[in-house]
Amino acid sequence: MYPSAIQNYEAPDSVDGAMAAIAKFGDDAHFIAGGQSLMQAIKSRIIQPETLVDLQNVDELRSLEMAQGVTIGAMVRYRDIAANAGLDGRLGALRDAASHVGDRQVRSRGTIGGSLCWNFVSACMPTVTLALDPRLTLGSEARGRREVGIRDFLGEPMETDRQEDELLISIFFPEAAGRHGSAYGKWSLLTDGLPVIGVCAAVSLDDDNKCTSARVSVGGLETGPVRFKRAEEELLGAGFDDLKSHEGAISAAAEEAEIFDDITGDAEFRRQLIRSVGLKSIVKAFERAAAAGADQ
Amino acid sequence: MKRDVTITINGVEYSGNIPIRMLLVDFIRDVAGLTGTHVGCTFEGQCGACTIHLNGEAVKSCLLLAVQCHGKEITTVEGLAREGALHVLQEEFHRHHALQCGYCTSGMLMNAAEFITERPDADDEEIRHALVGNICRCTGYTNIIKAISAAAKRNASV
Amino acid sequence: MTGHTGTGIGASLPRLEDLPLLLGKGKYFADLKRPGQLHVFFFRSIHAHAKIKSIDTRQAEELPGVVAVVTGEMIKDELLPLPQPSVTADLPGRKPTFWPLAVNKVIFHGEPVVAVVAEDPYVAEDALELIDVDYEPLPYVGDMEAALDPASPIVHEGWDSNQIFHIDFHSDRSESEHKDYVKRVAELIETAPHVIKQRYRVHRCGVTPMEPRGVLAEWDDTDGLMVWITSQRPHVDRYVFADVMSLPVSKVRVVAPVDQGGGFGVKAAIYREPMLITYLARKLGRPVRWLETREENLMTVGQERDQIHDLELAADENGKIIAARDMGMADAGDGCAGMYWGYNMPLVGAARFPNAFDIPFCEVQMRVAVTNKAVLSPARGLGIYPTRFALDRAIDMMARKIGMEPSDLRRKNLITELPAKLSTGITYDSGDFRKTYDRLIELADLPAFRKEQEAARKEGRYIGFGIGVGAEPSGVHSRRYIVNTGTPAYAATDVRIDHRGGVTVYYGDAPHGQSHKTVIAQIVSTELGVPPEHVTVIHGDTQSTPYSTGTVAARGASLVMSSVAVACRDLRKKMIRVFAHDHKADPDYSDYEFADGQVRHKRSDNLRSGFAELAYRIIVNSIDLPPGETGSLEQKAVFENDFGMVAFSAHGAFVEVCAKTGRVKILKYITSDDAGTVLNPQILVGQIEGGVIQGISNFLFEEYVYDENGQQLSSSLANYKIASAADVPAIDVYHDAGTYCPNTPLGARAMGEGCIGAVPGALGNAISDALQPFGVEIVETPVTPAKILRMIRG
Repeated sequence: MYPSAIQNYEAPDSVDGAMAAIAKFGDDAHFIAGGQSLMQAIKSRIIQPETLVDLQNVDELRSLEMAQGVTIGAMVRYRDIAANAGLDGRLGALRDAASHVGDRQVRSRGTIGGSLCWNFVSACMPTVTLALDPRLTLGSEARGRREVGIRDFLGEPMETDRQEDELLISIFFPEAAGRHGSAYGKWSLLTDGLPVIGVCAAVSLDDDNKCTSARVSVGGLETGPVRFKRAEEELLGAGFDDLKSHEGAISAAAEEAEIFDDITGDAEFRRQLIRSVGLKSIVKAFERAAAAGADQ
Repeated sequence: MKRDVTITINGVEYSGNIPIRMLLVDFIRDVAGLTGTHVGCTFEGQCGACTIHLNGEAVKSCLLLAVQCHGKEITTVEGLAREGALHVLQEEFHRHHALQCGYCTSGMLMNAAEFITERPDADDEEIRHALVGNICRCTGYTNIIKAISAAAKRNASV
Repeated sequence: MTGHTGTGIGASLPRLEDLPLLLGKGKYFADLKRPGQLHVFFFRSIHAHAKIKSIDTRQAEELPGVVAVVTGEMIKDELLPLPQPSVTADLPGRKPTFWPLAVNKVIFHGEPVVAVVAEDPYVAEDALELIDVDYEPLPYVGDMEAALDPASPIVHEGWDSNQIFHIDFHSDRSESEHKDYVKRVAELIETAPHVIKQRYRVHRCGVTPMEPRGVLAEWDDTDGLMVWITSQRPHVDRYVFADVMSLPVSKVRVVAPVDQGGGFGVKAAIYREPMLITYLARKLGRPVRWLETREENLMTVGQERDQIHDLELAADENGKIIAARDMGMADAGDGCAGMYWGYNMPLVGAARFPNAFDIPFCEVQMRVAVTNKAVLSPARGLGIYPTRFALDRAIDMMARKIGMEPSDLRRKNLITELPAKLSTGITYDSGDFRKTYDRLIELADLPAFRKEQEAARKEGRYIGFGIGVGAEPSGVHSRRYIVNTGTPAYAATDVRIDHRGGVTVYYGDAPHGQSHKTVIAQIVSTELGVPPEHVTVIHGDTQSTPYSTGTVAARGASLVMSSVAVACRDLRKKMIRVFAHDHKADPDYSDYEFADGQVRHKRSDNLRSGFAELAYRIIVNSIDLPPGETGSLEQKAVFENDFGMVAFSAHGAFVEVCAKTGRVKILKYITSDDAGTVLNPQILVGQIEGGVIQGISNFLFEEYVYDENGQQLSSSLANYKIASAADVPAIDVYHDAGTYCPNTPLGARAMGEGCIGAVPGALGNAISDALQPFGVEIVETPVTPAKILRMIRG
């Protein structure tokens, strides 16, 4: 209900300041980004931070740049992503997800960086980024900045490669020549709820509208988001409108995935959701990739 | 453990030397004494009754600490009516019987107040989608949708 | 029925309650503060069933800001437990003895074990982390059927079984008559050409109000106990507090705040926490406040439904029902709630089992078990949701078996002669069920839908239509209510006119969203000819209002509003008598009308007075009155009916079920309701829309979940899933095929309680209809996509 006592609160206005603050207060300090998940944990006292380092005043973390690729600051909110028309085609999945996380109020506070660092088991952003394959920049006062790929960043649910004194600074999607499209869809019992299943697809097409690369990630499993390599392999060479191949690819992958029963649904239900949600995401990703071609 | 915090609420500055852990909603209700902002859940931030505007955007005041809003301007339901004139949403909620017990109403109004300026042309389905973060247990939502739709149209035509 | 365009009865007058609520100036419980108030947090059991070996509170007591830490052992000799006479129903059931804090053992996950009192609520919560309780886990009793097995572990110490209640409804049949009756039922079922035999189950869910519970109590050595409490029954609370604290009733004042954030039954029962708060206020001599968290709310109150029905339904070749046997079972949780004891709900559900149907021979029994769960407590549609589901589903299954259109079979079996008495003893006063039902059928345009359905199926789309009906209570009557709850049913209001012609209405219930202020003002406006703005309504304060059982059981439009009308009519007569006397006119009541702030003779233009002037004349200038008259214009009226009044509804749901994801989409939902005289159409429609959405949310989304050890897994709104606006459809409400209620002075029927009743049948039937190509019949709730896919798979 109420947070446990908090000893210190810092609200630095620069990345260096943020790194310095977290270094100064050590182990029991937490960064707070949008706070839409962290405050739940603090109020239920699952997390009892001694120090909070609030990132809301760090403007650098709020920037979204589209030059030589797309760089999204860790504090860019769902709301900003959802409203950014430039994030289409190749990064369309980001907007698909950001427009349906939580609710309007949550989207006005919640951030992409916060979500990735929290890495909640079925959250949308880890699933989406796993398929979009960005590189993340982290920084600490002691060791300076470093880059890490998303696959190495995301660990088990609720765990990441971020060290306790490290700040996630930005998420970088390199420029890519060619025709690409991505899409994300999810299923939850209530509208815009945490997904029971979420599927992200990112595909590339050649000039003949045949798939040259595909990445498919699935969230909602107890392992956290996973890449469906089988689906990715089966999609290679598939035509952009070859519904049968798309369906076959996701079905085959769903069939062999390791899925368990839990309170939100049995394994067979989840498999079925992966098939239906996954197919929609794949079809949409192909459509976007094909449309990207039409523009050129 | 304590901080001096000043927050401007509905144009009035409120200050207090408060514990860092004090939730913004408690600052609004207990320090500023503005009890129109309600609390309907425990830690989960699901009910939306505490929705206010921070920098003009609808957010849940139970998921923020008061210290995070030091020096900022917020608006609560008490600030919706201006100079004695009801906000168009307040009028339409009244006209359409969009409230029964009234407990969720403040949050509904604050969320919708931002939404209708952002999306004056929203259809019913989009309005319903915009209200995902606000639970109403009495009305079944139908009249709330009607009221927001009517207010959006009036607002757009001004 | 309707058509009034002014401000009186029948007008959609915008609500008088609204303005402060829209401005954020409502006065809810949490907005109250008393100087020096202390805050209570409860340390609750983490086990469903365990012996308390020891409790260590030393560290908590030492925390700065903590004023007191109390345990069950410490209070059990200072405060009487429940049951007490104030909340003791006269039913053939057991009433477990319980204190506000666990003594010896805990019996559900979430039971209060220790209470911390502190200067600050944040500190009170800090102290909870410093309490250490050592438990010895006991076997969890969590399945109602297994709990009734003689071999089951026992929930309540000293009991020989877990059966808390059993009833075999006799109506007015003697023991031997009943024996013959039951035999006849058995014969009919055995020999009937068509029988549906099926187990139906409705899960644990309820109607969680947005405002949680709260209690603030203050002790004064002279005045006694003052309590502010979120409550639907302040007068009953007053009697309870007097009972458990051994105080004269006159030393207890209870106030339910002017504004309450919903109740839906949840705030009608007598729970553990308020008793402790009142005790602490006296013990500590300071105001003590407890504001429930949502987590506590979801873990302890509002858990309803949770019934199993083994039903046999028999019909002849033509689809006429000839007999039914319903063996019901319910899970009362621990049964520890005053007035309801965990079995009032299933009792009422079973008693009303026959619904709107003419079942010539109908045997109904209900067995209720205690388990290690939170007590089953009231929620809108009290008890009936599961029984409506069972019978309405069985009727559709019967129709399919016979090869009839379900809506025809349902119509054929509706009760056509009223008043009627059911085999369980329940009575219905009046109405025309078929008329209201036929309006729904007309609105639904079934032939067109069946064509659409056939075409859709060819495209692999599964749409369906289903009907549910409800013959639900419009108010209750004392003969039944005293037995069921230990309180009378009558409504008492006190209407007082002041010397300027203002009218204040006092009544002892505690509305919480029902719009009573507005409707009372409309009635006074119509009866006394004053504008609604001149009417003030005072409720919820036991000091100023007459005793009344509370805002429950659809008592508003049926009983409360009737008593207001009766009081106004008595006042009218007195005013006419004095006026006629002053003007030496004939005091024939029917010659006078009260309108536009005037009292006037209908045929003599010069015989008129301002309402306010006449009020002044009688209240202040109270000399030279007619012989036998006294001054004052204050009238208390008590209204009750000695016969069960009924409000009938028929609901039609159109759904589409996605065969890929199992998702149910409600395409359209129509209701046809008999509300009698509609007092305020907008408010009536609002009540029905709200009730229906609650019913839908219960059916598809909400569920209180206990794991195999009795751990509650639904203690936050993230897990107890309540429908948002995006999850539900608009509801089309029609009330143009109703019938005047001859037993209320205004002809009105009350819909607030029962409007949810027809929902589970309508949805269950619609989904089953949609899934006929897969042969699916829905027989248990909640109906989740995962379950639907399982059923489709077969």
